Amino acid sequence: MSKLTAILKHWQVALVLILVIGSIIAIYPHFENGQLKTNIQFGLDLQTGTWLQMEFKAEVAGFQTDKQVDQFIADLRKQLDAEVYQVADNKLEIRKDYSREDLEKAFTAAGGTLTTYEKGVSRNTADEVKRVLENKLNALGTRDARVNPLIGLNGISHYVRVELAGVSLSQAKEIVGKQGKFEIRIHTTGNQTDHVLYGDSITSVGVPSHEPAGSTTWGVSFTLSDDGSTKFQQAAIAAGAVNDPEKHYLDMLLDEKVVYSAPLSADLASSLVREPVRQLYASTGAGDSGLEAARNLEVHLRAGALPVDVAVSGSGFVPAALSDYFKVMCVIAFIAAAFAVGAVIYYRYREPAIVLPMMATNLSEIVILLGIATFIQQLDLASIAGLIAVLGTGVDQLVIITDEILHEGRVPSPTLYTKRLTRALGIILISASTVVIAMLPLALMDLSTLRGFAIITILGVVIGVAITRPAYGEIIKEILSK
Amino acid sequence: MEKMCKLRPQLRYLLKKRREAQIPWYPKHFTLPHPKYWDMGFITYDVNKYTPRQMVIIPMVLLAISLVILGYTMATTGMPVQPGIDFSGGTAVTIFTTATPDELKGVFSDYPLLSIGEGINNGKLLKFGPMDDTHLQALATKVSEQYPDAKIDQIGASFGKTLQEQAAIAVIFSFIGMTIVVFLAFRTFVPSGAVVLSAFADIVMTAAAMNVVGINLSLPTTAALLMLIGYSVDSDILLTMRVLKRQGKLDEKLAGAFHTGIIMTTTTIAAVGAMWVVTLLGQITTIWEIASVLLIGLFFDLINTWPTNAGIIKWYVLKRGKR
Repeated sequence: MSKLTAILKHWQVALVLILVIGSIIAIYPHFENGQLKTNIQFGLDLQTGTWLQMEFKAEVAGFQTDKQVDQFIADLRKQLDAEVYQVADNKLEIRKDYSREDLEKAFTAAGGTLTTYEKGVSRNTADEVKRVLENKLNALGTRDARVNPLIGLNGISHYVRVELAGVSLSQAKEIVGKQGKFEIRIHTTGNQTDHVLYGDSITSVGVPSHEPAGSTTWGVSFTLSDDGSTKFQQAAIAAGAVNDPEKHYLDMLLDEKVVYSAPLSADLASSLVREPVRQLYASTGAGDSGLEAARNLEVHLRAGALPVDVAVSGSGFVPAALSDYFKVMCVIAFIAAAFAVGAVIYYRYREPAIVLPMMATNLSEIVILLGIATFIQQLDLASIAGLIAVLGTGVDQLVIITDEILHEGRVPSPTLYTKRLTRALGIILISASTVVIAMLPLALMDLSTLRGFAIITILGVVIGVAITRPAYGEIIKEILSK
Repeated sequence: MEKMCKLRPQLRYLLKKRREAQIPWYPKHFTLPHPKYWDMGFITYDVNKYTPRQMVIIPMVLLAISLVILGYTMATTGMPVQPGIDFSGGTAVTIFTTATPDELKGVFSDYPLLSIGEGINNGKLLKFGPMDDTHLQALATKVSEQYPDAKIDQIGASFGKTLQEQAAIAVIFSFIGMTIVVFLAFRTFVPSGAVVLSAFADIVMTAAAMNVVGINLSLPTTAALLMLIGYSVDSDILLTMRVLKRQGKLDEKLAGAFHTGIIMTTTTIAAVGAMWVVTLLGQITTIWEIASVLLIGLFFDLINTWPTNAGIIKWYVLKRGKR
């Protein structure tokens, strides 16, 4: 007993204990409807859902020209019939799918030369896409949606990865895979409709709100560009909607399907007679159904606003039954690995007084790792493999400490002990740095699924070296000394 | 061996006495068994029995054979290891069905079915080659209609190529990073070079073995290869530190390092081996592939650390001693 208090008096050991308790609180294992729940976030392969990897149909090209840059870009726009933006001093983003050869020709025709060619979009555009997609997904009430542009080391993003929990592959593709084409049409006579404007005339879309403020009616406000507002006014006047709104409904179409249809309000009709209106509001009704409709409308309004075409380049789906099964199997694999490790070190030392602290140290390391992971990292299959690998390396390093201290078989004097522990920690530090360095490229490069594996491994090694190994050194010293 | 057998009853006796007389855990001169041989009963290998040249020759032959295998695969497929669908593009479908592979071939005759892997629990892993988007959509619909619990993964060819490039860069950077750390740690050429060579041989041999055994290079297995860099240097660093920075006779230091190093690799093999068995039975392909590669790599690590690296270090110390 006195031994136990002596062990606990070392701050290294106390720190580990505090962290373990903190981690258990963070993981928060509890029962809900007879099922064990925790705060651990699971990656897609351990929870039902779909992932989509989408390729940007755009290029970032380097250019040189003797002309004025603005003029060159304008000419290029005409040549390519595409949106062209300057994203850096000598880099252009072309938002349409072109091969290098075609671009070279167009650049030459516009009076410049193509210097570099890379598929993808600039970081800003990628972030914009991320925002649009996130809005779209969140508004649909998707439980857990993640959008990650994969940005290369050169700052160009070629792919964006979308993960949707609880959504089937076909649903997911419907939601994000294709870019919606948004259009507003106006009823002319009978069932005839005329085109008013496309989604590109909508410059911003608000969130569902009440209009007028304080009322119970839900709706979404949106803003038209100058050009768009003029088109809107002209179309309303031409169709006669300003005089008889009830006979000339306005339809909003997404991919040729009517998603919203309503007449002009009386006050809007009268102001349109005088001038173009940029700020518009589409009401959807009162109550929960109105709010729901407003949310959907918001998504639809935004659907036309994805700045770049995307194409699905990879996808995957994990069904519910399989993900639950994976989880159970992972737990079994983990327990089996822990027992196997325990058996080997027991075979080696034959002494519970060494084996038990070793296993305890090792498991507390895993608990702390899981605790931290609840905040920063989803666990997927690969990161669970990383977790089990950490179990292996962890014990390795405890073996180094034990053998170093017991070198020549004798329990050393305190000064010699400190020297040996330092030497053991030196060996561990070097091997830990190599693991961290070896995993760093994976952690930084965002190779989709491998990132979790790398982060878990690095985290495990760092926690081990900084926190649990020194504690084990103290524990084993107390146990071995009188 | 003898030393150890004698010690254990002694230790038991002492512990018993301690309990009776309330004396502390260990006698002052408690000695842990410290035999020269690996005494786990699998193999007996005396790290000091052979000359450096004898120690290095077999691993070097293995390394040469491995390089030839990788070169051959590179010449035929364009990659050192057969790429899986992560890198070549394609579609993988996991389903649970009692249908035989031949029946499944019939079911999916309209699609470029490459292979059908079978596991217990009636799990089947179907791999399809690249196909166009309409085919793909049709396949996905067909699969989810007939097998609602199917897991589908699809990678486009161009995306696969991007992943391939990124993975290659990651491996190269990892290796360079590891080399820098090792050279910074030891600051002498031969010992650092030996550690790096051993890690390199480890990766090369494992990659070659993947070709022989038929494990494809995928994202998970690339991660496993990188992990091997870390595992492999673990025991190498222990060996080098023990031999170079500790006082004592070379033979004893080598034997001591060997004893500790073997246990280290064994515990890791135990952890990974358990993971391998469970995921094999449980059909978790991702983890199983990682575990297989790690397991192969750890066995090669034994070869590359103990004969190769220990041989070079021994040669280095002997040569330095002569001067």
